[in-house]
Amino acid sequence: MRASEVDARRYAWCRSQALWVIGMPAHTFLEDVHGAKEADQDGLLRYAARMIGEACAVALNLALNYERPVPSPAMRSSWALEQLQGHELWQPCWDLIRGAEVDSAQEIVERCDRLIAEVHAILGEIPNILTPEGYYPAIGMARDWIKLMETVGEESPLPLEWMQSS
Amino acid sequence: MGKTMATDTERQEELEARIQKYHGASIGQVLDEIQYLRDAGDSVIVGGSLAYGLGNHLSDLDLVIAGPTTVESSRVPVEQFLGSLRIDVWKLAQGLIEETFNRAEEALAGDQALHGSFGNVDHENELKLLHRIAFGIVVDGGGLELAPGRDYRRVAAGVVVREYAERMRASALLAQLALRAGRSIAAVVNARQAVEEALNATIANRELPFSGDKWLRERLATEASDLAPIYEPFRQLPEDPQREAPRFVDEAIAACRDAWGLDLGIEALAPSASWRNTDLQAAEIGEDRLLLSAQFGALWHLDEEEATTWSRLVADVGAEGPQATWSLEDCDEAALTLCIRLHERGVLGLHWTRGVSIGELEMIKSVRA
Repeated sequence: MRASEVDARRYAWCRSQALWVIGMPAHTFLEDVHGAKEADQDGLLRYAARMIGEACAVALNLALNYERPVPSPAMRSSWALEQLQGHELWQPCWDLIRGAEVDSAQEIVERCDRLIAEVHAILGEIPNILTPEGYYPAIGMARDWIKLMETVGEESPLPLEWMQSS
Repeated sequence: MGKTMATDTERQEELEARIQKYHGASIGQVLDEIQYLRDAGDSVIVGGSLAYGLGNHLSDLDLVIAGPTTVESSRVPVEQFLGSLRIDVWKLAQGLIEETFNRAEEALAGDQALHGSFGNVDHENELKLLHRIAFGIVVDGGGLELAPGRDYRRVAAGVVVREYAERMRASALLAQLALRAGRSIAAVVNARQAVEEALNATIANRELPFSGDKWLRERLATEASDLAPIYEPFRQLPEDPQREAPRFVDEAIAACRDAWGLDLGIEALAPSASWRNTDLQAAEIGEDRLLLSAQFGALWHLDEEEATTWSRLVADVGAEGPQATWSLEDCDEAALTLCIRLHERGVLGLHWTRGVSIGELEMIKSVRA
């Protein structure tokens, strides 16, 4: 048996924020990155890459440092990067947030894939709600988190409609 | 200059061709797939990036089902898959749509800040809904019979202009405050954001349908290519924000001012901007000076200067009172630095006592013209 590093409420709040509020959009942006690359939409590619950098930085800060609350979107990047100083994923996150223009489209896609894989290795995998095979498992997992949040007395960041049977 | 919008028939043909090319699917098949969600007399409207000539083979198809007999409205879309095509269906009562437009029109007539009430950075559902209704393609049914006498496209465009002008104002202020406080990454991130918001407001003002921030640069490459040079210097943040932030922020503020004519300097914005406390309160334990948020279970150790500054805010502006709000004008340099740091931690909100009215923006534009 291994105790959580933090109390149950903080664990549930930070992990659910990281996985669902921050982690789930990262799937969407990763899809955008791949779609944009194939459609030669450079502007979309770079925007989505930037959002992946930010989402990963925030998710890492929540999962590693259990920081709460999450600030407004305007301040999330700097908040997360400050707390992640010295972490090996600081630079990959910052490179994407910055939007370095020197990289080829392929290189940006690879950077995004790599960063998300590394973040998932820390956070744990979540099913991709954007795919037919991932949709119901993702909803199922969301329900588990909603139950945990309710049990520890925290407000769920997820739509309570997902608790209703379909 | 951008291209004008095609006719509804041309747009539907283009949409049909795109989903056929990307997914081998037709509009008819889409309609079959969502038939079970339909009610008598309703209409199906396609909005979103695919309908607006943006999007790609991985984009979902955003549908609104609404009509006089539709009663249910959902916070989250019903997701359907037709082969590789993902369909997001928003089923909405027509009354809710009317109510949203009523609210939008009222908001545009007033001078209260929108405060993201039609969609913030995280959730832009209402902004997108307004545009799906005003600019979407009716692919089945006769279209919504909305109340006459209103320019729905102008209202939808106006709300986005207003929302983005207010976001630009906030980003510009935060960039300058962060710069003063030595928070260089926050400064450059917000400076770039301000320029993007200025450009999004400009594009919305041309009555191009809103599809979210992510398509801005594609639009600068196509429909609004005349604006692309404005964005060019801000595409990437400086490699060394500590050194380059002052120049970057100055240039971004100047670009926003050139685009919209608003004075975005701290002195000009401070009178209408306030900090709002969540539940922060100071605590002293022995020699430790702590700042505590019980709501968030968060606690910070303050150094002597920070503790003195917070005490002064408590004494001068009642910073620890319930719903305490104080103007940026009431803050000296040390207080501004402490407040921006607490804002960066998510425990002080930035609040605006007035919005950026469409009238003000139009007046500035007409004077400059």
